[in-house]
Amino acid sequence: MNTEPISNLHRVLSRGHFAVTAECGPPRGANGEAVREKGALLKGVVDAVNVTDNQTAIVRMSSISACKHLMDLGLEPVMQMVTRDRNRIALQSDILGAYSLGIKNILCLSGDHQRFGSHPEALNVFDIDSMNLLSTVRTMREQGKDLSGHALDGAPKMFIGAAANPFADPFEYRVIRLAKKIDAGADFIQTQCIYNLDRFKAWMDMAAGEGLTEKVHILAGVTPLKSAPMARYMAQNVAGMDIPEPLLRRMAGVPKKKAAQEGIAICLETLQALREIPGVHGVHIMAIEWENQVKTIVERAGLLPRP
Amino acid sequence: MEKPYRLSVFFCTRIVENEAPLLSQAPESVEIRPVPMACSSMVKDLFLLKALEAGADAVSVWVCPEGACRHVQGNLRAKKRVQRVQSLLEDIGLDGRRLTFFNLAPQDRVSISSRLEEIAALLAGIGKNPAGPPRSRDAEPGPATPAGLEPKAPDTHPG
Amino acid sequence: MIVGEQKPVQEILQMVAPHRKFLILGCGTCVKTCFAGGEDEVALLASALRLASRKDGRPVEIEELTVERQCEDAFIAEAAEAVSRNEAVLSLACGAGVQAVARRFPRSPVLPGVNTTFLGVLEHQGLFTEECAGCGDCQLAVFGGVCPFSRCAKKLLNGPCGGSQEGKCEVDPDTECAWHLIIERLSALGRLDQLRAYVPPKNWQTSLSGGPRKLIRKDHVI
Repeated sequence: MNTEPISNLHRVLSRGHFAVTAECGPPRGANGEAVREKGALLKGVVDAVNVTDNQTAIVRMSSISACKHLMDLGLEPVMQMVTRDRNRIALQSDILGAYSLGIKNILCLSGDHQRFGSHPEALNVFDIDSMNLLSTVRTMREQGKDLSGHALDGAPKMFIGAAANPFADPFEYRVIRLAKKIDAGADFIQTQCIYNLDRFKAWMDMAAGEGLTEKVHILAGVTPLKSAPMARYMAQNVAGMDIPEPLLRRMAGVPKKKAAQEGIAICLETLQALREIPGVHGVHIMAIEWENQVKTIVERAGLLPRP
Repeated sequence: MEKPYRLSVFFCTRIVENEAPLLSQAPESVEIRPVPMACSSMVKDLFLLKALEAGADAVSVWVCPEGACRHVQGNLRAKKRVQRVQSLLEDIGLDGRRLTFFNLAPQDRVSISSRLEEIAALLAGIGKNPAGPPRSRDAEPGPATPAGLEPKAPDTHPG
Repeated sequence: MIVGEQKPVQEILQMVAPHRKFLILGCGTCVKTCFAGGEDEVALLASALRLASRKDGRPVEIEELTVERQCEDAFIAEAAEAVSRNEAVLSLACGAGVQAVARRFPRSPVLPGVNTTFLGVLEHQGLFTEECAGCGDCQLAVFGGVCPFSRCAKKLLNGPCGGSQEGKCEVDPDTECAWHLIIERLSALGRLDQLRAYVPPKNWQTSLSGGPRKLIRKDHVI
């Protein structure tokens, strides 16, 4: 992919800039203004904004339509797409439609199980998995064909992303899985929130050892901690989340009023450390319902203005 | 004169070698139908329900202390079955308390008497089994354990 | 085997409420093995329903019968007389058995007393686990003998999701992560490299998605 950049995010990464992406969760309702309000906080602050797809299996405004709201504001979205709710027919159809609207980045995911969402009684689909979705989008882009082999009238040329969790078990297998995702079509990777830098570095070393950091842009995920109880909750209840005990103690050690400030400070320190790890090409800031802090973080990290 | 309540007691013969001590200590209000078992594991869920069907107002299962079963897990199996039948009784709207379960030490006459009094007090509170067979005043009480359902062999289910 | 569990008694009571005389029909094969519908369960349920109906002052007459298999006409035929003596049949077979009985006796209401749950394995006394989705295209050779279609909550074909922790599934911490088992097993066999290969989208045509399925053995059809 050395030709014309596909998207702004692609341009930033391919020119060797340290990329910054953030996240926007669509509302639990039809309120487009809510998306635009969150978007306005991110304008000029990040290179692209991930728009989640019914995250945590809670019914929200569709990712495609929220992406469109952000584009209307002049922001570039990364459309997240999970394989939980749609079969291969619907997924491909939505990819075509999304591209026709100008959506140029996609993040391919399997999705959180509906057991934890708003509709645990729903039938899940999982016709294909995230690996298959990556391969499908790449086939559409590079061969101009859908999964059935039918030639498309207009191929969606999307910049393709995948997620990676360096902290999930089994650890040794995580790099094999990363390699598979790259082979299947991932141009960039956004990781799970990183708090355990040692473990993340070990994972990056393994990835570099396999030559994977040469093949893919890795954007390290960070989430600023808002409070000590939130940190403790995430550490104990979010699957695949690794928050080391010293960090939890640090959050608990400051007065309640200063906890948010401490969380931002930790985030900035993490970000600084991440920038020094070879192979980390950017950062993905997931400030859950705290979008107004993204600008502060990016600014204080010295990452403004965006290229 | 007929006693107002009927109680079926399924008991392990290690606790009480025969029915005599039960019958001799029967409370005034309770007619006891003793069912001796070589091991309490022989008690099946069906026997407990059938006893109620046959007219028992309460059923009690007496087993030896945990860890003391000569068939190792017999009393544990009995306990699990009793728990299942208790919840089944609740499900069908019969009071699960009609079925009781006690671990008793061998030859503990004092406990036998107090357990029986306890059940008698319970029956005085909850009354007759509303699902028993229709009874006429001078009819002979039917057998608390229907024919063909007497336990025959110890449960030899593998662990 | 097919694993099922008896429906809650209250649900059964509601189903049989219109009938004063019915047959509880057990099945002596799979559902007997999982304690849902063999003759012991027929007897216990009959007794419980009699008690419940007497308590409510509307006694019912219940006949009990268990045949070898309710999914085979030759065995169902043994129940014909009993069925004809009763207003309805409460079948304790799997869903296939209930339908086979209903087909044979078009004038009798046939009610299900069991929830058929899965194709599974008796792991140890009293514990049954789902291990097969009957997808019609077995790929166990690819996955080291552990089926991700039936044992992974997300049916993932290309490795575990990010939620697997210490070998357990994020959906239920008491459930083994199928992918953890796959990796463990292939590691032990020295075949972990097998998982480096991309597994393409599954062809679901052989599953129920392709419509109700049928197996014809021509050599057995005259």
